[in-house]
Amino acid sequence: MNRTKSLWRKLTYLAILLAMLIPLFLLGQPSGGKGDPGGQLSVMRHEYNIAESDLGEISPASETMKLASLGMRGVAATLLWNKAHTYKVMHEWDRLKATLNNIALLQPHFDKVWEHQAHNLAYNVSTEFDDYRQRYEMVREGTEFLTRGVRQNTNAPRLVWYTGWFYGQKLGMSDEKVQFRRLFSDDEMLHDALLAEDIAVDSQEARGPLGKPDNWLVGRLWLNHGYEIVDSGVKIRRQTPLNFYETGPKWRIKHAESIESEGILDERAQNAWQMADDDWLAFGTRSIPTTSPFTIKLNQLEDLEAQRDEKIEEFRKLNEEAFAAARQARIDTLPAVIREYWQKPDSELTPEQRQLMPSIIKGLVPDLTTLAKTSDEAVRLESVNIAGQVRDLNERIQKTIGYRTQINYPYWKTLVQAEQEERTVTARRLIYEAEQANKNAELDKAIELYEQAFVVWAEIFDDYPLLTIDDTAEDLFSSVRRYMVAIDSQEIPEDFPLATFVNMMGEFGQVDARMYETVRQESKIAAEQRRIELEEEEKKRQAEAEEGDAAAGVPTPEKSEPEKSEPEKEKQPSTPGDDATEGSGQTEPDSKAGNNEVSGEGNAAAVNDAAKPAETKPQK
Amino acid sequence: MILQPEDFWSFYEWLMRPESFLESAFLQGIVLFVLAIVIGLMVGYIISANRYGPGEGFYAVARAVRDLIRFDLPGTSAHRVFALAKLAFKEAIRRRVLFVVGLFVALLLLAGWYLNPESSDPARLYISFVLTATNYLILALALFISAFSLPNDIKSRTIYTIVTKPVRATEIVLGRMFGFMAVGTVMLVPMGLASYLFVSRGLSHQHLEVVDVVEEANGTLVGETDFVQDHKHSFTLYSDIDGEGNPLGTYSGLTDVVRGHRHIVKRDANGNFEILSPEPLRARIPSYGEIQFYDRGGNNKDAGVDIGAERLDAGGYGSAGISRVIGLSRGSRKVQHGYVEGGTLGKAEFTFQNVTPERYPDGLQLDLSLRAYRSYKGDIESGIRGSVTMKHPTKDIESNPKTFVINEYEVDELNLETDVQGTDNNKTRDLNVFEDLVDENGQLTIIIKCLDRSQYLGVTQSGVYLRAGDNPFWWNLTKAYLSIWLQMAMVVAFGVMFSTFLSGPVAMVATFACVLLGFSAEQVYDTRHFIDSPIERGGGPIESMVRLLRQDAMTTQLDVDTTAAKVIKTTDAGIVYSLDAIATALPNLPKMVGTAEYAASGFDIFGALVLRHAAATLGYCLLAFIISYFFLKSREIAA
Repeated sequence: MNRTKSLWRKLTYLAILLAMLIPLFLLGQPSGGKGDPGGQLSVMRHEYNIAESDLGEISPASETMKLASLGMRGVAATLLWNKAHTYKVMHEWDRLKATLNNIALLQPHFDKVWEHQAHNLAYNVSTEFDDYRQRYEMVREGTEFLTRGVRQNTNAPRLVWYTGWFYGQKLGMSDEKVQFRRLFSDDEMLHDALLAEDIAVDSQEARGPLGKPDNWLVGRLWLNHGYEIVDSGVKIRRQTPLNFYETGPKWRIKHAESIESEGILDERAQNAWQMADDDWLAFGTRSIPTTSPFTIKLNQLEDLEAQRDEKIEEFRKLNEEAFAAARQARIDTLPAVIREYWQKPDSELTPEQRQLMPSIIKGLVPDLTTLAKTSDEAVRLESVNIAGQVRDLNERIQKTIGYRTQINYPYWKTLVQAEQEERTVTARRLIYEAEQANKNAELDKAIELYEQAFVVWAEIFDDYPLLTIDDTAEDLFSSVRRYMVAIDSQEIPEDFPLATFVNMMGEFGQVDARMYETVRQESKIAAEQRRIELEEEEKKRQAEAEEGDAAAGVPTPEKSEPEKSEPEKEKQPSTPGDDATEGSGQTEPDSKAGNNEVSGEGNAAAVNDAAKPAETKPQK
Repeated sequence: MILQPEDFWSFYEWLMRPESFLESAFLQGIVLFVLAIVIGLMVGYIISANRYGPGEGFYAVARAVRDLIRFDLPGTSAHRVFALAKLAFKEAIRRRVLFVVGLFVALLLLAGWYLNPESSDPARLYISFVLTATNYLILALALFISAFSLPNDIKSRTIYTIVTKPVRATEIVLGRMFGFMAVGTVMLVPMGLASYLFVSRGLSHQHLEVVDVVEEANGTLVGETDFVQDHKHSFTLYSDIDGEGNPLGTYSGLTDVVRGHRHIVKRDANGNFEILSPEPLRARIPSYGEIQFYDRGGNNKDAGVDIGAERLDAGGYGSAGISRVIGLSRGSRKVQHGYVEGGTLGKAEFTFQNVTPERYPDGLQLDLSLRAYRSYKGDIESGIRGSVTMKHPTKDIESNPKTFVINEYEVDELNLETDVQGTDNNKTRDLNVFEDLVDENGQLTIIIKCLDRSQYLGVTQSGVYLRAGDNPFWWNLTKAYLSIWLQMAMVVAFGVMFSTFLSGPVAMVATFACVLLGFSAEQVYDTRHFIDSPIERGGGPIESMVRLLRQDAMTTQLDVDTTAAKVIKTTDAGIVYSLDAIATALPNLPKMVGTAEYAASGFDIFGALVLRHAAATLGYCLLAFIISYFFLKSREIAA
C-alpha cells in the first residue's frame, strides 16, 4: 500500500515535470531551418532581428563568459566597471584595457558600453600620456575598440557613426592634430586593419593631397558606411538623423580646412573644396526624417517657398474679391511705420528696411483656411483643398528652416562655395606666406603679402559676408594685428581694405554678418555719393583751370595726383576692387582681371544674391 | 606599481616598529593571543559550567589546560603526526582533488580568449593571470578539503578508528593540518611548472627577418624587424671592433623595448642578419633610497606638489595595526606621486645606502618610473625633460647633470658611469663616483629635477632605484608561489580549526567568511574611517541599503527623519566596529596576494616580505592549532 502510494507520487511528479516541459518546448525550441520557425522565442528573435547571428559577428569567448557568469552577468559587469575605473585612476592602462575587454565580452550588444569605453580610452586616457605618440596609440586603441563593437553590432549605425567621428574629430581637431594626422597617415598597420573592415583606405576617396590616407576622409568613409546601413533599412537610434547625416559631408569640409592650414594652398585645396561642395549639396538633397511625420530636404527651401506662393496665387485667383478684402484688412492693421516702408518703392529702401520686407509681405497673406470656409460654394472644395496644401507647405518650410538653422546649413553652403574659388585659395595662400615671412622676420615681404591678401579678403567678405563670423575670420583678425605690428602702427591705415571688418572685430570682438553687409552697403552708397561729389569738384576745378589757364602749359595729371592723395584715400575704401588691381596686379595679371570683374559686380548688384558666386566660378 | 612605505620595512621594522610600537605586528600578535586565551578560557568555562556545574566546570577547564601543557604537547610524537598526515593526504587524494590541477590547465588553455593579445606588456598580464588563478584555485581547494574532512569522519564514525588508538588531540589536529598542506604543496608544484611554461612559451617568439635597413652617415645600421605577434622593433647596430679599434666587419646591437621586451640583433660579415630570441624575463633587484622633496624655493617638503590627479584614497590603513583599531591613528596612508616643479629650485632627492663598487661593479644602473604633467601645452613634439645629478650626501661635490626625456609608464633604464665630470666646491674636475661622491657610510645622493619651466615631473619613492642586479624569473615565480603556499597553509589551519566544532558546510562557510573578510579588510577600515571622520560616503550596511532603495547618492546627507537616522547610524557603527575588530584579527590576505604584483612587474620579491608573511602564517597557524586542540578536547569523541 505504502509502496504503491510512493510510486504514484513519483509518477505524479514525473507527469508534472513532463507537463512543464511542454510550454518550455513551445517557447524555447530552436529553429530547425527550412521553413521550421522553431519556438515562440525563436520566432520573436527572428522577428526583431536580435538573434546572435543577426546582431553581428559571433564570439564564442563572449558566449562562454556569459554562461560562466551563471546568470550573474549584471553583477559581474558592475564589478568590472568598478575595477576599470580603479585601474584608470591608478594609471594601470594595460589592466584597464584587459578589463574593458572582459566588459565587452559580457555585454557585447550594449552599444553604449563600446561607445563609452572607447571614448574613455581615446579622450580621457590618451591625455594622461605626455608623449604624443603614446597618446596616438591610445586614441588608436579607442577607435579599434569601437571597431570591434561595430563588428559585433552590425545593426548599430550610431556606433559606425561614432567611429567615423573618432577618426575625424579626435585625430583632426585635438591639440596634437598635426602630429596625429601625420601619425595616422603613416600608420600602415592601421590602414591594413581598416582595409580588413572594408574601409577602402587605399582608394582615391580616402587619400589626401599627399597621396596618403587622410583621417578626415577615412572618417567620412566610415560615416558613409553608416549611411549605407541606414539606407538598407536599419533605424537610427539614440541620435537625430540630421546630426547623423551632417557629419560625413562636414568631414570633407574639415579635410579641406585641414590641408589648407597645413599649407596646401593650390588647386588641390580648391579641388578638396569642390568635393566638399558636392557632398554638401548631396546632403542638401537627402531626405531627412524629422520629428514630424514627413521628411525634408535642406536644399529645398526655395522650391517649397515657390510652391507655396504658386498655391497662394492659385487660391487668390479662385477667391479674388475675398482675398483682396482680407489682404486690405491686414494692410489696414499694419503699424504706421511698417506701412510706410511697405509703400515706399524698392529703390528708396535702406538695406535694413529691405530686409524687413519679406516678413511684411508674408504677414499680408490672409488666413486661407478661414477664407476657404466662407468662399463661394462652387470653389469651396478646391479652396479648402489648396488652403490645406498651403498649410502643409508652411509646415514643411517651417521645419526646413528650423533644421537648416540647427546646423547652420546656409553658412556651410556659402563657405564651400566661397572657398572653392581660386581667389579665396589665393587669399589664404597670401596670408600663409605672409605669416611665414613674418615668422622669418622678412618684414617688407610680409607687409606686401599681407596687403595683397587683405584686398582679396575684403572682396571675399563683400561677396560672402557670412564668412566674417568664422574661425578663419578670427585668424585673419590676428593676421591684421600682426600686420599692424609689422607696419608699426597703432591704428589701421585709412584706406585699409578690411577697415569695416577690423573696426567691428575691435568693437564687438566678433562680427555680425548681417550687420557687416549693411555697414558695407551703406559705406558703399556713401562712397558712391562722395565719388560723384569728388568728380563734380574735379570737373569744376578742371573747368576753372581751363578757363584761367588757357595760355599757360597743360597741368599734367601726374603732377596733380600727389596733391589729390588725401581725397583719393577717402575714396578708396569704397572700391577695394580697384585697389586690388593696383596692389596685386603686378604679380598675377590673370587673377587680377577676374578679381576686378567680380568686385565690379559685387559693387553693382546686391551681394546677398546667393547664385552669383556660382555664376562667377566658370570665369576662373 | 607604486610601493607604499610599509613595503620598504625590513622584517624587524615590521615586527617591532621601533618608532611606533603601537603599530607593530608583534603587539598585534600578542594582543590576538591574549584575547584568544582570555575569550577561550571564558567560553570554555561557560561550556564546562553548563555541563558539569560551576565548581566542577572550573576544574575541567584547568584540567584541559594542564593536559595540554603537561601531557599532550610534550607527548606529541612526530611519527604519529606523520602517520595521521599521510592518512589525511591519502583521503584528500581519494576525493579527487587533483581535478583542480586539470581545471587549472583548462583555464590556461582558454586563457587566450580573455587575455588581450595586443597588450602593451603581455608578460605582466600573463604572470598576474597565472598567479591570481593559482591563488584563488588553491585557496578554494584548501577551503574544501580542510573544512569537510573532520566533520565527515565524525559523521561516518571513522574517527573512532583513530581515537581509539593512543593518539593525542594535538596529533589529530597537526596531522590534518600537515596532511592538507602537503596536498596543497603537491598541487602547487605542477601548477607552478605549468605557469612557468605558459608564461615563457606564451612570450617566446622569433623575428625572422629585417626590413628597411639603411646605413647611417656614422656607420651604424638602422632598421626594423618583421611584424610578429602584433609588434615589430626598430634597432640600431654598431660595428664590432677588435681590441685596437679596427672594425671586424660584423655588427651587433639591441632593438628598442616593445611590449616589455627587446632582442639582440647581429649581422655577420656576409651581411646576414640574425635576431635572437627575446631577452629572458627577469626580476630586478632594486635598492631603494630615502626620498626628500624640495619646493620651488628650495625648502624641504614632506611631499611633492599635488597636481590634482584623481586618486583612490582608500588603502594603506592596515599598516597602522592596533593603533588604528583603538583610534590613535586615522586615515589612509596611501602614497601617491609627488611632483617637482620644473625650472625652479624644486627637486626630489634620493639618498641610497650601501653604494659600493662590489655591489655595482659595472657602474650604477638607475631605473626611473616617472610621470610628466604639463601645466601648459608647450612643445608637443618633445617630451618633458628631467635631469639626474649624483651628489655627495654632505659635501659640496656633485656630478654634472645628466638630462633625459621622461618616458612614462615604462621603466627607463639610465646608466650612470663611474667616472664623470663634475664640480667640487665650484671647481670643475673629473670625479669617481665611489671615491668622490659616496661618503664613508656608503651613501650616495641622487637628485632628480625637471628642466622645463612650469612643467612638472612626478616621482615616488619606489619610482627611482639603483638596480643591484637581476634575479632569474623562475626564482621570483617560486617566491610568488611560496606566498601562495603560505596563504594556503593559513586557510587550511582555519578550516581545520572550524571543522573541530562546526559541521562541514558551516565550517566551510565560516572559513570562507574569514577569507572574504581578510580580503575586504581595507574596505571595512575605509568605512570605519568615513564613519569616524565623519564623511558622508554611504555609511554602513543598513544606511547603504536605505540609500540603495531610495536611490540616493552616497555623498548626500542621509534623508530620513532624525530618530531613524540616529538608529540607523548607531546600528551601523556597531556593525562596522565589530567587523573592524574581526578584520583586524584576521590575516592580511590581499597583502600576500599582492606579491604576485612584484613578479608581474618584474621586481624581485623582497626577502623581508616573504619572511613577514611566513611569520604571520606561523602565528595564525599556531593560534588555530591551540583553539582546535581545545575544541577537539571538549568534544566527547576525543575525551
